Amino acid sequence: MRIRLYGRLADAIAPEIDLAAAGCTVGDVRRRLAADHAAAAHSLARSSALIADRMVGDGQPVSESDELEFLPPVSGG
Amino acid sequence: MSVVALLEAEALDPQLELAELTEAARGDGAIVTFVGLARPESRDGNAVDAVVLDHHPTLTRQSLEDIAVACAERFDVSHVRVVHRRGTVPAGEPIVFAGASSIHRRAAFDAADYLMDRLKTEAVFWKREVGDDGAQWIEPTEADLADRDRWG
Repeated sequence: MRIRLYGRLADAIAPEIDLAAAGCTVGDVRRRLAADHAAAAHSLARSSALIADRMVGDGQPVSESDELEFLPPVSGG
Repeated sequence: MSVVALLEAEALDPQLELAELTEAARGDGAIVTFVGLARPESRDGNAVDAVVLDHHPTLTRQSLEDIAVACAERFDVSHVRVVHRRGTVPAGEPIVFAGASSIHRRAAFDAADYLMDRLKTEAVFWKREVGDDGAQWIEPTEADLADRDRWG
């Protein structure tokens, strides 16, 4: 599945990555990213998860066709 | 009544934005505007060459519009105009224009104040200051949050 990251997360990991996530939940993906990118773990824990511009909880199952986004707390303008 | 919320990739011209708002405000008695500039110095006193604003492809513009609409509904204003830069803004250049017009001045002052307090804390941007010392991510300060919370 395609994962899009913003702000500090894009800086620490990448703006976009593809991950095999069949059978995973949002929380599984969050934990996997944190395990693979320790420097981003704190920001990931504080980030909102969105699918199709809607906020989703960590228990939400994901499918390969989903685009999952992690948004760290915003800076404001 | 009009509400305009724009996300600009290129340089923002405050004079042009004021002209647009003035044109819309015919019949009103007051216009209040605020222009935010990219600061040349960080809170720590380091030189800043530019502020870089990362944005979300849909939620950023939506956040600008939500704040502008909420402003128009809350205050007795005729027109609200918010224009915000995205991307790289060199130090000293405008980042944001926020303005409102009304029949009497108080509503326009309050509306501009409200717009900026919410934009500074809730607009969907991820912002970093870039200088010789590298890049520093910026988050709202306690003072920014307290300013926003004045509005309930």
